[in-house]
Amino acid sequence: MDTFTFKRAASVAEAVAAATAGVDAKFLAGGQTLLPVMKQGLAAPSDLVSLARVAAMQGIGVNGGMISIGAMMRHADVAAHGEIKALLPALSVLAGGIADPHVRNRGTIGGSLANNDPAADYPAAVLGLGATVVTDRRRIAADDFFQGMFTTALEAGELITRVEFPVPERAGYIKFPHPASRYALVGVMASKSAQGVRVAVTGAGACVFRATALEQALAKSFTPGALDGVAVGADDLTSDRAGSASYRAHLITVLAKRAVARALEVRS
Amino acid sequence: MTEHARFGKSQVRVEDQRFLTGQGRYIDDVNRPKQKHAAFVRSPHAHARVVTMDVSAARALPGVALIVTGAEWAARGFGPLPCRSPSKVNRDGTPFKEPTRHCLASDTVRYVGEPVAMVVAGTADEARRAADAVIVEYAELASVTDRAAALGDDAAQLWPEVPNNLCLDFEQGNRAAVEAAMATAKHVVRLDMGNNRLTAVPMEPRGAIADFDAATGQYTLVNCSQNIHANRDLMASMLKIDKAKLHHLAPDIGGGFGAKNSVYSEPVVMLYAASKVGCPIKWIADRTEAFLSDTHGRDQQSTVTLALDEHGKFLALHVDTVGNVGAACGTMGPFTPTGGTARTTGSVYAIPAILYTSKAVFTNTVQTDPYRGAGRPEAVFHVERIVEFAARTLGIDPVALRRQNLIKTEQLPYKTAVGLEIDCGDFPAVMERVLAMSDRPGYAARVATSRAKGLRRGFAVTPYLETSGGAPHEEARLAFRADGTVVLSVGTHSTGMGHETALAQIAADTLGIDLTRIRFVQADTDATSIGGGHGGSRGIEVGGSAVLKVARMVIEKARGIAAHLLNSHVDDITFKAGVLSDTKTGQSVALDAVIAAAGDTSRLPQDMSAGALDTTAKFERETYTVPNGAHACEVEVDPETGVIAVDKFWCVDDFGSVINPMLADGQVMGGIVQGLGQALLEEVVYDPQTGQLLTASLLEYALPRADHVPRMEIAFFEGAPTKRNPLGAKGSGEAGCCGATPVIVNAVLDALHEYGVRHIEMPLTSEKVWSAITGASA
Ligand SMILES: Cc1cc2nc3c(=O)[nH]c(=O)nc-3n(C[C@H](O)[C@H](O)[C@H](O)COP(=O)(O)OP(=O)(O)OC[C@H]3O[C@@H](n4cnc5c(N)ncnc54)[C@H](O)[C@@H]3O)c2cc1C
Repeated sequence: MDTFTFKRAASVAEAVAAATAGVDAKFLAGGQTLLPVMKQGLAAPSDLVSLARVAAMQGIGVNGGMISIGAMMRHADVAAHGEIKALLPALSVLAGGIADPHVRNRGTIGGSLANNDPAADYPAAVLGLGATVVTDRRRIAADDFFQGMFTTALEAGELITRVEFPVPERAGYIKFPHPASRYALVGVMASKSAQGVRVAVTGAGACVFRATALEQALAKSFTPGALDGVAVGADDLTSDRAGSASYRAHLITVLAKRAVARALEVRS
Repeated sequence: MTEHARFGKSQVRVEDQRFLTGQGRYIDDVNRPKQKHAAFVRSPHAHARVVTMDVSAARALPGVALIVTGAEWAARGFGPLPCRSPSKVNRDGTPFKEPTRHCLASDTVRYVGEPVAMVVAGTADEARRAADAVIVEYAELASVTDRAAALGDDAAQLWPEVPNNLCLDFEQGNRAAVEAAMATAKHVVRLDMGNNRLTAVPMEPRGAIADFDAATGQYTLVNCSQNIHANRDLMASMLKIDKAKLHHLAPDIGGGFGAKNSVYSEPVVMLYAASKVGCPIKWIADRTEAFLSDTHGRDQQSTVTLALDEHGKFLALHVDTVGNVGAACGTMGPFTPTGGTARTTGSVYAIPAILYTSKAVFTNTVQTDPYRGAGRPEAVFHVERIVEFAARTLGIDPVALRRQNLIKTEQLPYKTAVGLEIDCGDFPAVMERVLAMSDRPGYAARVATSRAKGLRRGFAVTPYLETSGGAPHEEARLAFRADGTVVLSVGTHSTGMGHETALAQIAADTLGIDLTRIRFVQADTDATSIGGGHGGSRGIEVGGSAVLKVARMVIEKARGIAAHLLNSHVDDITFKAGVLSDTKTGQSVALDAVIAAAGDTSRLPQDMSAGALDTTAKFERETYTVPNGAHACEVEVDPETGVIAVDKFWCVDDFGSVINPMLADGQVMGGIVQGLGQALLEEVVYDPQTGQLLTASLLEYALPRADHVPRMEIAFFEGAPTKRNPLGAKGSGEAGCCGATPVIVNAVLDALHEYGVRHIEMPLTSEKVWSAITGASA
């Protein structure tokens, strides 16, 4: 690993200032993506700006129909949170199914979203539940946030501070893990709320996306049976040794049915 | 009570206190004052000529002390990496091809990861940076990584002296009898099947510290190796030094499974470098390096043909294999896919004629070498798949077909058609017992329950047979210290299996002393004169027998000393429960008193002096043992996704006498999990075009995890202890993966029978299963 300057920010403003000041500064959240990449020599930032002490990025708040999660909340925090379990169990299941206990005790929701790994779980939650990403300077709707493989709407030095999830009527998440990495080979979040039905798919393509054909079918009837015979095209999907595009396409429909079944089992 | 029954109790591992509290001492815990660090420059190409190598920039970097290039290594005239394959003769009588492979390649690289230079620097980071700064110009050549493709006339040629990359063209068995039976048999069934390429992924990657003492000319190598004594001799001869000048030892080892068996380049070059630099040199492989450079296992493609008569009786078996040796011979060269697989071909079945033919081929991949079972699991897989397939093809119940063809107990001792001498066992009893354990009456209800959930349930039972292997002799030494400690030194090597407990149990029980008094020493060329290390499931049968022998020799000596102390005749002295008694006078003396006397020449008989009780024994087995057993399992398959869950698992093993059932359970469980890995998950993949290793990290190489593993019910059949060693023990270490791989595959295919699926190549990934069901192209 190359040498770097370590800075510890005490506020959002300080963090953003420090990130802008460095030649090639990076925010450090849980370090579960950034540090391995640095160890492999694939990233060599000049400055690391630790977000651990930024109070505004901590905590989970529930206010009416909205759950607000600080960007520094770890996967384990979200998975174990009582009100999330009660109001949005699909989200606790998703967070509790990321990686292993070590990673869940370090990795954060903000880091995961900023990274936007094509096989990560949280992007499916944010897009599939119609959440809002709150940054130091603006609010970004889920539909605008994810832009491509490892690419988001974030500008240089822009800091995710919180993520706001509207509580849906029903939601379910099913992950089909990659046999080796246990990231999502395919993961599907299906939800139904006042704004309508959302089906977000991660793992299957270059970036999380909404499966519109499935959404249309489910808008008519939010039941697994509504997806019978509804196929997802394989054209833009990923093909690799763990799964061809056609297998992934097939899994999307199967998992979406199961996600809907799970959503109907538990009250969201 | 029989002699061997005495050790048959579970005993919690004494080493666990150390291992589970973080006090284990592994290679990276070992450090030497003033040590420097090594890093290796490895080939990024599968096959290329080294045009130039420029080390000037690297040499100028901070901390760099030495760079050894392939050219320098060649110029120094060190010996090549050795090949010790017991199979070396082609079917036409000519010798096999053994091209010369050096520790550092100088003119041509033949696999991705092959070392071409080593850098020594002050820190591991400095060494890595300097290694990255070595500029090598390569001229790429065409490559071939696939076992079958390598034999083709238009395939890339690895070695000019090896036409068609053919290392060994092997044949064993009775060709004429097999051909005759095949020609006339009522039924002949044939199936192509692969044994996927695997890598062991021990939790602890390889590493070493090499040191040289200029004053004495003594080399010391602390090495994460499972084969200390044999590799000391081989490395000394490569370096052209007296083997007495090389002290080779291992600290605690975090798993080996065969991958730490071979002689590797890195420690040899480090020994040389230590003598040049004048300080200790340390190297620890990172995980990527382990994937690239550890020896791999399996990688065989076979056509298996079985001839049966009209009643289902087996008449002949032919297995025809192509086995991937890698870019050159590893320490065991072409042995695994040839003699290693031939030995147990036919397994537990009475098959009058067997032919095993095999072509071992070179490819642009890292060497393959023994991996847990080294050919025996492959042999069981061949016969169990073809038997299952034959039963399906001919419409016979697979269990009945097996039952009919098992070697009967009254046929023992039995010599198989490939020459394996089976001394004892009871194959029918073992299979019936596992069937009884597996609740056949409740099966139909479980099938229905699965079906109601949308799942398909399958069942299979597969008997297995294997043999122990490895070096036939072993040494054990007992030394008695004044503080009451008893030092037990052995030449076998536990890489986590629990010898520190099991071997100590044998010594402690025989001597009638407390286990806690034994201090265990292993894997050290200073502690024993010979040692077979870890390999071939021989730890208990050979190593344990040496321990039993030395303990009994100690008691013999103790009787002499007791006779002297009691003024008795030695013939009147008996030993029981730690006490030596004169049967005539009734006088007695405790072994501890004898031990104390043994430290004092004045209290000993004329012909003895202080230390008289310290004893070394060598044990040599006449031939290897034949562990066997039967596995049964039930799987659930999700036909919508192709996902397989192994739901239930039963197994009965005949390991002869079991020394410590808890440890034997552990061996079986570990083997089953490894077998499950091969069946369902694991596969080393090289890109067929570029020869790049695509599975060079744990993000890509799928290992079994806790949630893949079912509850395993394990029982031991102890009705047939072997007479091939005084313990009555048969090897247990590799048995698990012999049975588990075929039983899981067969159970999955049973579940898929209704879809008309008859075979799927391993690993049975969810996509392959789904494709087979839907008939879609994968
Ligand atoms: C073994 C392993 C298994 C894993 N398995 C899974 C899995 O199954 N599913 C899954 O979804 N993920 C998985 N992950 C990834 C894990 O969830 C990471 O924690 C996550 O991707 C990154 O979060 P982090 O807090 O560690 O971010 P860091 O590594 O600290 O940062 C990642 C990137 O985001 C930037 N960043 C961090 N926080 C912010 C912020 N608030 N605003 C803007 N930019 C920010 C950083 O500068 C950096 O570029 C796995 C990781 C490992 C190591």
